[in-house]
Amino acid sequence: MKRALLKDSVKEIKNTYKKFLSILVMAFLGVGFFAGLRASSPDMVDTIDQYYKEQEVYDIQILSTLGLTEQDIEEISKIENVEKVYGTYEIDGKIEIDNTDIVAKVLTIEEINKPKLLQGKMPENEQECLVEESFLTQNNKKIGDTIQIEIENTTNDEGEEVEYLKNKELKIVGTARSPLYISKDRGTSTLGAGKVNYYIFIPKSNINATEIYTNIYIKVTDSNNYTTSTTKYEEYIETVKENIEQIKEQRENARKEQLVEKANEKLQEAENELNTQKQDAETQIRDAEQQLADGKKEIEDGEAEIEANEKKADTEFANAQKQIENAKKEIEENEQQLNQKEQGANTQFAQLETQKQELQANLEQINSGIAELQAQYNIILEKIQKGETLTQQEEQQKIYIETQLQELQKTQQQLIAGITQIEQGIEQGKQEIEKAKKQIEQGKAQLETQEQQLNKTKTNTYSQIEEAKKEIENAKREIEEGEQELEQNRQEFEQKIEDAEAELLDAKEKVNDIEQPEWYILDRNANSGYVSFIQDTQSVENISQVFPIVFFAVAALISLTSMTRMVEEQRMEIGTLKALGYNKFQIISKYILYASLASVIGGILGMCVGFATLPAIIWDMYSVMYEMKDKINLNFNWQYGGLGLILICICIIGSTIYSAIKELKSMPATLMRPKAPKKGNRVLLEKIPFIWKKLNFSQKVTIRNIFRYKKRVLMTIIGISGCTALILTGFGLKDSIKAILPNQFENVFNYSLQINLKDELEEQEKQEFITKLSENENIEELIETYMTSAVAVKNENEEDVQIVIPKDDFKDLINLKDIKTKQEVTLKENEICLTDKAAQLLGVKSGETIIIRDTDNNEYEVKISNIVENYVSHYIYMSKEMYEQLLQKQYKTNVILTKDVELTEEKEDEFVTHLMEQKEISSVSRISSTMKVLDDTLKSLDYIVVILIGAAGILAFVVLYNLTNVNISERTRELATIKVLGFYDNEVYNYIGRESILLTIIGIALGLILGYFLNFYIIGTCEINMLRFSKIVHPISYLYAILITVAFTIIVNISTYFVLKKIDMIESLKSVE
Amino acid sequence: MSYIEFKNVCKEYKMGEITIKALANASFSIEKGELVVIVGPSGAGKTTALNILGGMDVATSGEVIVDGKRVTKLTNKELIRYRREDIGFVFQFYNLVQNLTAKENVELATQICKNALEPEEVIEKVGLKDRKNNFPSQLSGGEQQRIAIARAIAKNPKLLLCDEPTGALDYKTGKQILKLLQDMARKENMTVIIITHNTALAPMADKVIHFKNGKAEKIEINEKVIPIEQIEW
Repeated sequence: MKRALLKDSVKEIKNTYKKFLSILVMAFLGVGFFAGLRASSPDMVDTIDQYYKEQEVYDIQILSTLGLTEQDIEEISKIENVEKVYGTYEIDGKIEIDNTDIVAKVLTIEEINKPKLLQGKMPENEQECLVEESFLTQNNKKIGDTIQIEIENTTNDEGEEVEYLKNKELKIVGTARSPLYISKDRGTSTLGAGKVNYYIFIPKSNINATEIYTNIYIKVTDSNNYTTSTTKYEEYIETVKENIEQIKEQRENARKEQLVEKANEKLQEAENELNTQKQDAETQIRDAEQQLADGKKEIEDGEAEIEANEKKADTEFANAQKQIENAKKEIEENEQQLNQKEQGANTQFAQLETQKQELQANLEQINSGIAELQAQYNIILEKIQKGETLTQQEEQQKIYIETQLQELQKTQQQLIAGITQIEQGIEQGKQEIEKAKKQIEQGKAQLETQEQQLNKTKTNTYSQIEEAKKEIENAKREIEEGEQELEQNRQEFEQKIEDAEAELLDAKEKVNDIEQPEWYILDRNANSGYVSFIQDTQSVENISQVFPIVFFAVAALISLTSMTRMVEEQRMEIGTLKALGYNKFQIISKYILYASLASVIGGILGMCVGFATLPAIIWDMYSVMYEMKDKINLNFNWQYGGLGLILICICIIGSTIYSAIKELKSMPATLMRPKAPKKGNRVLLEKIPFIWKKLNFSQKVTIRNIFRYKKRVLMTIIGISGCTALILTGFGLKDSIKAILPNQFENVFNYSLQINLKDELEEQEKQEFITKLSENENIEELIETYMTSAVAVKNENEEDVQIVIPKDDFKDLINLKDIKTKQEVTLKENEICLTDKAAQLLGVKSGETIIIRDTDNNEYEVKISNIVENYVSHYIYMSKEMYEQLLQKQYKTNVILTKDVELTEEKEDEFVTHLMEQKEISSVSRISSTMKVLDDTLKSLDYIVVILIGAAGILAFVVLYNLTNVNISERTRELATIKVLGFYDNEVYNYIGRESILLTIIGIALGLILGYFLNFYIIGTCEINMLRFSKIVHPISYLYAILITVAFTIIVNISTYFVLKKIDMIESLKSVE
Repeated sequence: MSYIEFKNVCKEYKMGEITIKALANASFSIEKGELVVIVGPSGAGKTTALNILGGMDVATSGEVIVDGKRVTKLTNKELIRYRREDIGFVFQFYNLVQNLTAKENVELATQICKNALEPEEVIEKVGLKDRKNNFPSQLSGGEQQRIAIARAIAKNPKLLLCDEPTGALDYKTGKQILKLLQDMARKENMTVIIITHNTALAPMADKVIHFKNGKAEKIEINEKVIPIEQIEW
């Protein structure tokens, strides 16, 4: 380039610095957005890579269904490229704070997956722990507080229960971040409501149950030389994984053998003990039997003795009785004799009495004779006494009487003697009898006494005998009882033995049943937080591939207009140069230099700013969802920067060359004449008088002008519609994303809880439980299903799917709707329904077949009856009949889906906690919490919307401003003229502004249509594999797009107003350039 | 006092550090209905004076009074109104709006004026009745300038300012235009000011103002006005 030309070029830039700047800004924006967005994803990856390297995050992780041992570590250490192997402990525990149970994942502090200390210090002893920052804030705890953690005892290999921790009371000494949990999701737990709330770190020294490791983490040699998630890294790790795969089976078997051996030892011990016990028991029984037999014999002897005694007693008593009887007889005889004697005596006595009475009567006669005699005597005596002398007679009488008296007295005496004699005799006789009687009485009494005595003795004896008999009876009963007891004991013992034997057998069976442990050899892709982060970097990447295109296109258009205008403005100069003999290249080089300078400076500035800001902005947005590093690693990515610069140079310089060459084709003479202003032309509309005539003057002018500058008008429309389209895409994307959750969890899945039943449940238990559950007041409806995971295969494509088989039908808990017809679909007997996104990824349509590979690697070919609507994950729906026929397996319910009656969240919490306590349930997952997790994930896409709107705004602004400026500069003369004519500022503005209003309206209308399609395109581009974005744009989003575009145009138009105001009438009227 | 008083007007432009005096104490006065020709070499300040008079530029100092209105004291908005109501301007390069037909170009002016004339009549007056629906590109230079004049006078202005109206025209056409302007002044009693570097035109004017070095060096009053047809140059 000649010096003069170079000078001219530099001056040109100085003079037209606004134009230069506008091209520079376009280059800045184009390259900035391109490079910045493109670099965001690698920067994000770099950041996580660095973080993972700093925290020494594992490359490979091994989990086993039966735990891992020191030997496993040793064996793995031997594998090539395994640098270090760490056995760690991870277990869920419960912490009670304010009466609520918090589920925490307890992690040991290791040299791998190091926690990043945020506050406080690392634990120094087993009484200390680290918690998450949110744990403190959300539970009103602070460093220095203590928490109590409850962890279920574990069973060691010997089958004994072991306390998991040495120390359950932990003092919080700091907060830390785990590189294993970079997202908010802490995973699921079998405790509490089924979700882990926090993780805490404890020193390894606090672990009591150290025998079995829960996890093995492996650091692969030199893995730090690769960037995580890159293909190279993945491939390298894959080789090591494959090596581990090779010892997997052997280690699994070894683990099983170890367990079997230990169990067998245990079994042997148990068996031995059983046998000893058996022997002991047998001896005891035998002893007892002996005792019983002895007892029986004793009883028998006793009985015999008693019998003998009884007999003897009987005889003795009989004799005694006889004697008594004899004695009685004797006495009786005596009595009789006596009685006879008495009778005899009595007769005698009666005779005697009679005699006596006779005697008595004689006596009385005598007595009376005496008395008479006496009386006569007395008379005599009286006379004597009186001294009278007695007459002889009287004397005689006296002597007579005296004699008589004497005689009488003698007889009397005799009589009395006789009487007395008789009386005495009687008396004597009576006495004798009496005596005899007495004797007899005495004998009788004696006998009686004897008898009584005998009886007494007899009674005594017999009662003794009776008692003895009773005793014997008792003894017998005792023996019987003893026998019964013995029998019972024997039975019990037998039962026990039987039981023990059964148990032993069971245990033996269990030993046989010791499941084959399964190793899961996982890499970082098994960490959900990591995966979702990497996926996010990929969606950023996807977006970064679409958006810069828009900017490049716009940059190209803008520079094309600007440069064309510039070349047009300088046609005189070009003509002059051409006339002076400069060749085409020399002339063009000025413009190329101009454009190159603008694009290179703008581009380099753009990439610097882009690299420095966009990744940081995107990081800030994503950091809401991830707990990782606070700052993104910003890299100057030459690759993207260079590519962006080259692309923008092609766009800008290319369009410059194009417009310059176009101009250069004219002859110098033509060029030196001012370019004829664009001719005015009648527009088509004027030929439709009934419309044209209705327009007022300014409207006509506006319409004419619009048709006059077709290129610019087109570009304005493209710019505005692009802006509207981008904004609409942004909002549409948000609508689509937001619709996923209600679509999936209200329309497709209409259940509230997914209750997973324990595998080992008996069919009957299961049915009882389900019946019970269906009666629960909190449940409105439930269905039984069988769910299993599988891989759907079509040609090269494979997708993980969940197979769902309803026991009866889905009722309305899962709604299957055909994706095309939107009609309800029922499951066919020999065809499946496949969800929409899976079908797309596999590339199949309804009516085609796919292969299902089950968990045992069996493959089945199935035909698809319908592709059904679905928005999250992939599912295959199959009828029970088909399942049973296809897999030759019996259908068994393993998952119950329930729909709650309307429950508040707290009520549902309670209900879920209650359910978790049921022994039949292994886990419960809640749609509401699933939704929450997904909602958080989907929020990340919200930020993309913000970026979109921001980008759209900048785009709209740049395009409109630039085009308006070109418009104004092209029409300065015209504008100056109307100013001179006395148009007020706002009238001048309206003269131009009406055009932009109309163009804005057209642009918006087109933009809405464009946006509608762009939205679907973008949705297709950034859709995550597991998700199906719904193709919806809410009316309000259209309104937003319109309003925001209008707002941007208003801003641009306000600046236009001031530009117009500044137009200098004089300068522009002077002459034609 | 005259209809137009241009008193001690100075105009300075600052071009970086250099101050250029476009007008240095220029003074003149014009009576109503006069046809004035301002002559002088390039850079003498003719156009600047005209611009200030037409309200398109503001004087640095001095006073301009038009029909009793102090133009130099007007605000920006009042200046626009002044241009709108009182001034008709004819440019060297016609400055027709290319996108509007002849009639529409006239309407562009009349639609913003209160007591504007009927566009069709004005066009008839400038003798282009048949071409009123043509676009500027379909008209010759003279025809375009006629339309430009029609546009200026259709506003019924107090002052008709013409900056080199024939500068871009050939002799014959230029003459026709000047004739039109002279007729306007004569017949409509309009005050017309024409800038030209062609001193030969002086005889057609009522007053000739000679500009030199930013000053109205000489003001001649032409007692005997010669119709333009008789002037040859």
